[in-house]
Amino acid sequence: MTEARASAERGAGDAVVRRFLVRPEAPALAFLVVLLVAFTLANDRFLTASNLESIVDSVAVLGVIALAVNQVILCGEIDISTGSMLGLCAIAAGAVALSTGGLLLPLLAGVAVGALAGALNGALVTLGRIPAIIVTLGMLYALRGVILLVTGGTWITGVPEATRFLGTGKLLGISVPVIILFALFLVMELVNRHSTWGRNVFAVGGNRLAARFAGLPVNRVRFLAFALVGVFVGIASLIYLGRAGSVQTNTGVGLELQAVAAVVIGGTRISGGRGSALAALTGAVLIGVILNGLVLLGVPGIWQQAVLGALILLAVATDVLRRRLVGDKS
Amino acid sequence: MSTLAATMRRLSFSRELVLLGVLIVLVLVMSLLSPLFFTLGNLLNTSRFFVEVGLMALGMTLIIITGGIDLSVGSNLGLSSVAVGFTFAAGLPLPLAILFGLVVGTAAGLFNGLFITLLELHPLVVTLGTFALFQGLAYGVTGAEAVSNFPAWFAYFGQAYFGPIPGQLFVFVVAVAVVWLILSRTRFGRYVYAIGNNEEAARFSGVPIRRVKIALYSGIGLLVGMAAVIYTSRVSTARGDSGLGLELAVISAVVLGGASIYGGSGTIAGTVLGVLIIATLQNGLILAGVPSTWQLFVLGVLLLVAVFLNEFFRQKEE
Repeated sequence: MTEARASAERGAGDAVVRRFLVRPEAPALAFLVVLLVAFTLANDRFLTASNLESIVDSVAVLGVIALAVNQVILCGEIDISTGSMLGLCAIAAGAVALSTGGLLLPLLAGVAVGALAGALNGALVTLGRIPAIIVTLGMLYALRGVILLVTGGTWITGVPEATRFLGTGKLLGISVPVIILFALFLVMELVNRHSTWGRNVFAVGGNRLAARFAGLPVNRVRFLAFALVGVFVGIASLIYLGRAGSVQTNTGVGLELQAVAAVVIGGTRISGGRGSALAALTGAVLIGVILNGLVLLGVPGIWQQAVLGALILLAVATDVLRRRLVGDKS
Repeated sequence: MSTLAATMRRLSFSRELVLLGVLIVLVLVMSLLSPLFFTLGNLLNTSRFFVEVGLMALGMTLIIITGGIDLSVGSNLGLSSVAVGFTFAAGLPLPLAILFGLVVGTAAGLFNGLFITLLELHPLVVTLGTFALFQGLAYGVTGAEAVSNFPAWFAYFGQAYFGPIPGQLFVFVVAVAVVWLILSRTRFGRYVYAIGNNEEAARFSGVPIRRVKIALYSGIGLLVGMAAVIYTSRVSTARGDSGLGLELAVISAVVLGGASIYGGSGTIAGTVLGVLIIATLQNGLILAGVPSTWQLFVLGVLLLVAVFLNEFFRQKEE
């Protein structure tokens, strides 16, 4: 009797473990825990609340963008224009901030510019029927060109303190970027679990043809994903503006790669249909921990790009090998 | 008479002819904008700048015909350039350093090819990863420094003139001929189209898909290596960030030349015309006094318009 109950409990325990292991973000979470333990053992100042907060703080911009790029990748598309988009949004927000001050108007300006750029991406992909990689590669350079044109190569500096709240402020002792990141993460988890659009994103990414035959509005689902990236990049641009206090013409260069890396490293499948918002968050934090760890280990900053590239390749290779091992055909 | 009409009709649908028309109009407009443009000296001088993009575009054409893509060519050019410069600075004789640069370029391409075929991953994500990896290696290995004290004869590869004709133009012409022969006159070339049209059907027909793909990505690596040697010689400097963003010009040229981004179609003649159009545009913009900041914008928009028109007309034809 007690034996039966014990084995039933063990069975339940196994089921919990198995349910964790089949989740897409499981390898990244496990890797994150291992890294945290390793860095804690190597450096006793690593595992302090303030260091952890500063790590999450430093990846807030990346994390917010990754949460939206995650939706695009779940749809089976890709967006590599976010770096230039962030620069443009930050310039729009910065320019408004210099003339009006305050927080709301700059935020609206950044989000509006982002939404416009994101909607343009979405329209070109869905209505123009151009592959997303070509659209967003073209936009990556076109938007950078727009940045150079509107600024004429000059910086925006002296952003007023009120505008910088989203980057430097604190609420209840927690830094605002961290709060924004986790709030948006919760929103995306809820959207993916409980909203029609969230469910459709997975359906479209899993099998676009089947989704179309099932009567789903495939184009609208993809368009909204691209537009969402613009909105989130707009929000992220205010975090950036707050943290940096200035905008340069090369603001956001290379960020598009980090965002894709965060999503893929976190465990969302690059071909779409499988993943979660938690994967994007885990990936972004993992990148933050690794870059922070490299600094602690004394590795020169110029190696960051190489590490990032190696991580992307490692993540996609692990996913393929893991699927081959377990015989997962999905 | 009727055969003549049929020929005319076929010609009017020829994409290459349309592109040639675009090129001629562009040259005319540029000549009006700047009196310096339509001089033999300027036209030949322009060719010094498009050979690097042109060499890579040849390889990219074949890859895009198979339905693949290589985003890492710009980073690979930086890596190969650094491989030449820094082994030379470390004491390797220059001919061996040049050879080493070609080997590094090819090896980087081979790495892409093996990664893509053995793991059955989409070229997009693999070359996005190697885009960062190659560039990062080039930065990291060099410590973001540059090498520039090459001996005088190294300039031969990128600055030599035979009469009025820049030396690298000959390299490009030979490369065009070789790649054209491979694509249109060999079994390998037929395999390339077969894979792009229907990879599944090609596999069941016995096309060695993996070997073809590995050869293609290694091949573009070799072309990148050649472009890197010419580039390094032309600017007399080896730096990690050489070739930054060149993938945009390369892909734009190929797509402008009529290759379908979905695979299955594309020609070397089209790509060469695409390269010429982009080079004319860039050179003309500079001569017309348009700030270089416009160039990124123009290239980005050009890429979008080219793909859109391509797919639009292809749907019309079908």
